[in-house]
Amino acid sequence: MLEGIKRIGPCEWEVPRGFVPAMRVPGRFFLSDALMETLEEGAIHQLANVATMPGIVKNSLAMPDIHWGYGFPIGGVAAFDLEEGVISPGGVGFDINCGVRLLSTPLRAGEITNRRALIERLFKAVPTGVGAKSTLRLSTKELEAMLLKGSAWAVDQGYGTAKDIVRCEEQGQMKSADPSAVSAKARQRGMPQSGTLGSGNHFLEVQEVREIYNPPAAARMGLSVGQVCIMIHCGSRGLGHQVCTDHLKVLEGATKRYKITLPDRQLACAPLDSPEGRAYFGAMAAAANYAWANRQVIMHMTRGVLTSLYGIAEDEMPLIYDVAHNVAKFEEHEVDGMRRKVCVHRKGATRAFGPGSHDIPPEFSDIGQPVIIPGSMGTPSYLLNGTLHAMERTFGSTCHGAGRVMSRSKAKKALSGQEVKEALENEGIIVRAPSVGAIVDEAPEVYKPSAEVVRVVHDVGISRLIARLEPMGVIKG
Amino acid sequence: MSYVELEHTADVKLRVEAGTLEELFSEAVRALMATMYGSVEPGTRAVSVEVHSADLEGLVHDLLSEALFLSDVEEVVFSSARLTIGKDSVSGILLGEPFDPSRHRGGSEVKGISYSGMKIGKEDDTYILDVILDV
Repeated sequence: MLEGIKRIGPCEWEVPRGFVPAMRVPGRFFLSDALMETLEEGAIHQLANVATMPGIVKNSLAMPDIHWGYGFPIGGVAAFDLEEGVISPGGVGFDINCGVRLLSTPLRAGEITNRRALIERLFKAVPTGVGAKSTLRLSTKELEAMLLKGSAWAVDQGYGTAKDIVRCEEQGQMKSADPSAVSAKARQRGMPQSGTLGSGNHFLEVQEVREIYNPPAAARMGLSVGQVCIMIHCGSRGLGHQVCTDHLKVLEGATKRYKITLPDRQLACAPLDSPEGRAYFGAMAAAANYAWANRQVIMHMTRGVLTSLYGIAEDEMPLIYDVAHNVAKFEEHEVDGMRRKVCVHRKGATRAFGPGSHDIPPEFSDIGQPVIIPGSMGTPSYLLNGTLHAMERTFGSTCHGAGRVMSRSKAKKALSGQEVKEALENEGIIVRAPSVGAIVDEAPEVYKPSAEVVRVVHDVGISRLIARLEPMGVIKG
Repeated sequence: MSYVELEHTADVKLRVEAGTLEELFSEAVRALMATMYGSVEPGTRAVSVEVHSADLEGLVHDLLSEALFLSDVEEVVFSSARLTIGKDSVSGILLGEPFDPSRHRGGSEVKGISYSGMKIGKEDDTYILDVILDV
């Protein structure tokens, strides 16, 4: 165990003030004893560094998929006061609104007799991997609309239905988007990449609902054991990456101008109510909208494949929900008995609003917001719901995935892409990627067990299990 | 001039070494491209580059960020750079070959260049850069 941290519950730990100099609040993180073995000192230092930022409210938090990132740790959550607080791209990440959505189908797993053919068709339909270009030809005016309207733009263009929009966090559109703060360079990158999956840990996976833990909630979401679903994980592509890079440079200057002292240059930030802070927020919101539109377009391509292969109509494939993993948002939370508006940064963390919260589709209002936690290739993914406990403890947040335990360089030495592919195929999981290298990078062995990460959030009560989904086939970038 | 990948769980951490600062920056560009595209071969496509920053860390950060941008929009895989490094600027050309999906799909997209964990220094006659790439 790391020196200086304190256990305060079966799965809850505190990083006291003083762990690094100038901490304004303590850090808190959630981890089981089994997962403690994977904890990196670098991640705890990053959690403590966040606690030094001006205007941080209550705690610097990390979810059980905590690991060593840049700026904030991955799995990091922090809320900032509107007057004294700051906004930082280091608390959002380069891939703004990297997120995940879950689409249901009326198919049963047994009906998919040729998995390879399905995966091959999906791989052809969705541009994937480094350097992949979109089949969409966006005009500058269309890109502008995409940045402003997000999912609604995609639906206006015929990619999906109005019902899809209701099933997205923020209804797939941050209203405060300011496209004028998105540079020409970001637009130049974003234009040919809309509707592309990307690479790294991004994927599109065909899954089977294997187990249901909360039958009434699953029934409300139209899910039953044996049903086939599709999970899509991607973000804002080069446009979002460039927004982060551009504004990091501006905010570095602002950090000096506003005399903010930081322990890590990647935490460059500006007061929320400063021209630089407002510009980053507006650009980030526009990039988040791009990501929602992107996932909407990819979902439409996926539905097209299922329609042509199995004759299923669009309205038989409803979106269950879409969540953002990397974003900062203004939200109202109860802090020490008082309702307060704060700016919540989630970096590799998922919003998990409890029952009765606003911004949940009305049909899920009594269940809580659907929370989608992807596993790694070959390991299960989970559907959960947000809770009131999350509202009280984590500003309505939970984990976002499994979290890596093995570096890419170690994975390359220890594993071969072909062997990983064959091992997965022996389990009946078809993998399609542009290169075997991409498969090694994301092999099941390089991640923490998703089951244990999800068990912790369920036991702590910051989200509760609804269903487990097992992979049948996956396309990767 | 050389680079190696160091241990980093989530991202890619590179250590780049060279005899001069210009070579260090050029090798850092090659290392970034090798991470992105897998294989990098010398080429003759030249793209101008110019960045400004107040310190050395900022210069290498901004040069790599710009190489990432230029590689994406110009569709070139850079293998080297000819650079002039000033007190607060780097300018010159990046050299490489056109992106070819049949040969350049062996890497992982780099989303950004991180300041976290960045170190640049000199030991004896060797310049050393540690940099973390978000992939």
